Amino acid sequence: MSAAPSLEPSTDYVQTELLNGVNFLNKKVLAAGGDIEFKNFKKLKNGFKNGSCLNGHVLTSANDVNTKELQNGFTLQNDSKKTTDIPKQDHPISKTREIKESFEPPTLLVAALTQISFYILMFLGYLSQALFPPKIVKEKNRDGYPPLYDRFSAFYSRYVYRRVRDCWNYPICSVPGHEVVLKDRVTKDNGWTFEFTGSKTKCLNLASYNYLGFAEASGPCAEAAIASLYKHGISTGGTRQQFGTCELHDELERLTAKFLGVEDAITFGMGFATNALNIPTLLSPGCLVISDEKNHSSLIVGIKLPGATVKVFKHNDVTHLEQLLQEAIYYGQPGQPKGAFKPWKKIVIVVEGIYSMEGTVVRLPEIIALKKKYKAYLYLDEAHSIGAMGKHGKGVVDYFNCDPKDVDILMGTFTKSFGSAGGYIAGTKEFITYLREQSYASRYAWAMSPPLAAQIISVINILMGRDGTNEGQKRIEALARNTRYFRLRLEQMGVIIHGNEDSPVVPILVYLYSKICMMVRTLIKEKIATVGVGYPATPLTQGRIRICLSAGHTKEQLDYALDVIEKVADEIGIKYSRKTRDFTPIEYSKIKIYQDL
Amino acid sequence: MFSSIKNFISYWYFRYLLVTELYMVEKWERAMFHIILFVLLAIMYVFNTTVTLGLVRMIINSLTSNEDSKRTDYLIDPINVDNSKYDL
Repeated sequence: MSAAPSLEPSTDYVQTELLNGVNFLNKKVLAAGGDIEFKNFKKLKNGFKNGSCLNGHVLTSANDVNTKELQNGFTLQNDSKKTTDIPKQDHPISKTREIKESFEPPTLLVAALTQISFYILMFLGYLSQALFPPKIVKEKNRDGYPPLYDRFSAFYSRYVYRRVRDCWNYPICSVPGHEVVLKDRVTKDNGWTFEFTGSKTKCLNLASYNYLGFAEASGPCAEAAIASLYKHGISTGGTRQQFGTCELHDELERLTAKFLGVEDAITFGMGFATNALNIPTLLSPGCLVISDEKNHSSLIVGIKLPGATVKVFKHNDVTHLEQLLQEAIYYGQPGQPKGAFKPWKKIVIVVEGIYSMEGTVVRLPEIIALKKKYKAYLYLDEAHSIGAMGKHGKGVVDYFNCDPKDVDILMGTFTKSFGSAGGYIAGTKEFITYLREQSYASRYAWAMSPPLAAQIISVINILMGRDGTNEGQKRIEALARNTRYFRLRLEQMGVIIHGNEDSPVVPILVYLYSKICMMVRTLIKEKIATVGVGYPATPLTQGRIRICLSAGHTKEQLDYALDVIEKVADEIGIKYSRKTRDFTPIEYSKIKIYQDL
Repeated sequence: MFSSIKNFISYWYFRYLLVTELYMVEKWERAMFHIILFVLLAIMYVFNTTVTLGLVRMIINSLTSNEDSKRTDYLIDPINVDNSKYDL
């Protein structure tokens, strides 16, 4: 690669490492005075760049430099006048955004204790199962049949999960806004059954994916939803391809496309099905999917359905991704006769915007650069990031100031930030038309309920400022500020938190089940609702408490929650962090949020 | 004074229960685990005092190559070895 064919005698191309693991071709020009100068690109930090490789734009061959700019794998309109190799200066961004992510590993002692205690738990579970077989219905006259259900998962849910079941699946009886009302219950037989006590507890809600605080029982969005109820009812009673489309669906799709800055969008009534049923329309045997190891199960289900080959790259590791791409292109499809080479039909990179269990943010600029370099397609799942990230709430694409047209398939859900339900896929007009015709979800799944669509429409209108207020912008900034504040305070506290400093998903690592359930129970007693996450949603020994911040939280609420968390953390000993801590008090109003960049 | 010691012990017992995941199991399971742990440790103690100690003594003796090194009878019954006979 270092000796690419040169155009002019005085220039040649050298390989320079700019972003983490991504190598760009740099045009070397001999400047006056004999110095070597890189004309097209400058030394860049991860994330933002200036020059012509801004926002993931990358020039992959000598011809690209002088002629055309590549987008979405297609060449754009002929720009014959643009023959210079001077970098485009019309991009307004000149500052650098560094991705600050932490993945502090536990000490060896903690890791070892976690393993040992897990074996203790398993041992006691098997002992208990052997001595007191569960009082459940058993199938009879099934000699010789293998068990229909997975033995281990049945054992796990009965003898591990059942013991701490009171921390999960809490029934609620209010809108899950910044506060939520829990229905109290007690168990008298260690989690096998529950009884309602009849009382209710109002808790601070740190558990819902209500990032922008649009889950409200009143206000303009709720009113819009109620109004649509009188006009369209609760269901259109059909699939989108048959007779289930009403004008709200069309408006929602137009608005979504406009909001995201792409040509067209298609919406579905279910977020999980958006992934699981649309990915199969894109893939076939002979295609290669390169998937992040922490991808959500809806993506994994969708990838597995069509029988494409799957390779998994390490979480957010761009170097590993590039290595896989290189190998895929170099070796092609395996199992060919000797000497034959058959390339992959296509290569699709599947990533998420914010990983819901890790709180990490995808390294989008680098992945876009890689995708362009190796001509792979990019499927970006913005389920958690849409609304929650970026200056205008348009997800990680907005956060990194990338061009949404560089992402071939933009997927997201309305379930989180929008306080509604459903999902969308956005992209080029051609692609969305293809999906409308071919997708299982469009053919067979019920169309989105009209009140849900009305709620989303009014939320997008608020976010885009079309309602005449700056309410949307206020919420986006409040969320960003809450996120930074909460994460900084937790870091001061000394607990291990994972993920990006701007991600509103904050996992606090506690490692052990007992600590998860102790913490959740204590927090509920102190009127704070949180979610504990353990196996199978996380690796076996990485139990965590996941906190989701919202724009609806006030500083006082967060302070109260932090004080309680600090008390509990001291009590159960989860201050595992060995980082140096900065104890200067954090002033909420003076926190520099990423919008300031 | 007495209550503070009691508090200290009960707090660290609680922390011990947390790190061994015994906090979330039922009481009889907790007791069962401690009994099994105690039995295991007892067996290990007996094994160590008899077999391992005897082996170590044999190895040390063979290294120092005394006349006594040929003796192996205390491996079989280390407690009732007639020490006066060998003048240990």
